[in-house]
Amino acid sequence: MANKVSKFREWISQQRNFLFARYTKDAKETQEPERSLIALPAPIRKKLVRLIEEIPSNPADKEAIASVIEESYKNWREDPHNADNSVVVLSSPVTAVSRILSETLEEWTAQKQLPLKLLSLTARPYAVETIKSKIEHELKSKVGDDGDEPLEIVAIPNLSWCFLRSLDGLSGIEYLQSLLCSGSKNRFWIIGAGQVGWEYLHSVCAIEAYCGEVFVLPPIEPEKMQSWFDPIVDELGITFDEPRIDKQIFEGETDNKEGYFKHLADISEGVGTVAVQVFLKSICYEEAEEMEGIKIEHKHTKQNIVAQTPRLPELPDFESADQYLLYSLLMHGDLTVSALSESLGDMESEVQARIQILRREGIIEQKGQVLKINPIHYPKVRRELAANNFIINRN
Amino acid sequence: MEGVSRMLQFNYQYYLAQSAGDAAKETAEQTKRIVSKITTDKIIQGLIILLAAYIILRVVDRLVNWLSERIAKEWRLRVKQFLPFLRMVILAFTTAILANMFLNLSQENILAVTGTVAVALGFAFKDYASSIIAGIVGLFEAPYGVGDRIKIGDYYGEVVSYGLRAVRIKTPTDNMITVPHNKIWTEAISNSNAGALEAQVVTKFYFAHDVEVNLVRKILYRVAQTSKYTALKLPIVVVMVEEPWGTVFKLKAYPLDARDEFIYQTDLITRAKQAFIRHKVDYPDLTAFNESPEK
Repeated sequence: MANKVSKFREWISQQRNFLFARYTKDAKETQEPERSLIALPAPIRKKLVRLIEEIPSNPADKEAIASVIEESYKNWREDPHNADNSVVVLSSPVTAVSRILSETLEEWTAQKQLPLKLLSLTARPYAVETIKSKIEHELKSKVGDDGDEPLEIVAIPNLSWCFLRSLDGLSGIEYLQSLLCSGSKNRFWIIGAGQVGWEYLHSVCAIEAYCGEVFVLPPIEPEKMQSWFDPIVDELGITFDEPRIDKQIFEGETDNKEGYFKHLADISEGVGTVAVQVFLKSICYEEAEEMEGIKIEHKHTKQNIVAQTPRLPELPDFESADQYLLYSLLMHGDLTVSALSESLGDMESEVQARIQILRREGIIEQKGQVLKINPIHYPKVRRELAANNFIINRN
Repeated sequence: MEGVSRMLQFNYQYYLAQSAGDAAKETAEQTKRIVSKITTDKIIQGLIILLAAYIILRVVDRLVNWLSERIAKEWRLRVKQFLPFLRMVILAFTTAILANMFLNLSQENILAVTGTVAVALGFAFKDYASSIIAGIVGLFEAPYGVGDRIKIGDYYGEVVSYGLRAVRIKTPTDNMITVPHNKIWTEAISNSNAGALEAQVVTKFYFAHDVEVNLVRKILYRVAQTSKYTALKLPIVVVMVEEPWGTVFKLKAYPLDARDEFIYQTDLITRAKQAFIRHKVDYPDLTAFNESPEK
């Protein structure tokens, strides 16, 4: 406590000029001009978006997944009859778990020289009745059912594409459960899934009982997040705003960049896709202004792309229908309009109207036919739904 | 002898008359003691206090209802059920101010006033007083609260307000029913959710005796598990009952919000019927049963 007080006193003495300047604002007195932060010029914005699109999967996620798979695989090989032959990797519903898992597995299996069978579903089949037959076809045709089958790593990059919350949409999961339960003993299963969808499947099919270790991707640490963004920051020469006053006082943050990424990791809850969107939104262009014919010179004259304090946008007031729709999107990760209407049990025209409103408000985004929650809204949408009785996680 | 007895009778009547006079005088004195001097100013002040109390009540009503509909659902009923207590506090406070203004409330005066008021209310407003007392008891016993879905007598619906004398229920047909609180003395009160956000919904399905039971059970479970309205953290149960004319399946599940009760039931029935038609499940044939002499 004494430490905090002394820090506060020290900070006051440092900031005295600034504070008094605020309180003694006189219209006649010349004030330091406020920095004008404007939207990025189109070429810079284009470059920034390109750099963000090219950003690789966070190495921290890949490292964590590789280490869990390595350990589970080792345990299984040591005791194939009693140890679990599967591991589940859970991520937030707005994280591209299939991409991270596929990349990690390709590297890991290449290193271990193990045969890898990736379930080739890259989206949910249009006709949900066919999910089961597609899985059956892939797993039966590529992995023989005879007793002498070789050791094989079978990966389902995204379990969300194997089900739809509808009467016929769970048959694929039932089939996978039967394979996990009484299938080949020479297969090691690696399953990727979204947390909300996994909770749903656990509630209705008790899927967790059929699987081994369930690993939830840990939130990205501020330091790792900083090094993840460093190539973009260096490429564009981005500078950072001062941390908020409360952060300066109570957490002793003095380094702008460090404070920025600490705050970014905090509000994005350590989810990479959310952090990327928040980062993008916080970047502004600082223009040096001229006053009374004199160009003002300050420390950002050369480096004029500034990252402001990151913040999440506010959510609008949702109606019940919106909440059901958003929960369905979180559960499935991504959906087409027809699949969404089927999962809600509503007519497509009704659902379409709600989608248009939410899309306009920026809550959901549409890429081609596929709808997703806008990652920047994910933390708040998740909290809102959890407070309204929806199953988001067991804690 | 006769003169003596007449004298005694006269004395007795005089004594009675004097006692009655004294009693009247004493009552007048007592009333004078209790009721302090009523002036025009005091009457105006009293009216202002009543008006202020009325406005505060209306504002609190609106504020609590507005707030309860905007916050997270899990807090909705808790906020709503705080309203009757707030109303009671405001009314008690107003009554205390008015009583203090118009009555000299010494210890013996309070006893006298409460006695008189109790007798007056007992005779003139027996049911009204009974309802008010039941309303106060109900605050602590809580047979129902605002936001609960209750059934009193023939009336079923959501409690939308808890007044001083009565409770108001909004029925599924959007009718507003006012039921006095004193029903809690005599009537059975069925409360579906008792302060919880979820209330169990029982949906019945009727089939022929030779229906494929496992298929129907599986469909019903799946229908509930895949409904957007279902609260999955609460159990889903299918039970069966045999009737002379067929087999009844009861699907018991909870919607996320008790307010969705009927729309939830409709969703369950709609999707279940589609599945039953697709699987050609037999419904009971009642013609034979209706024609039977033993019906």
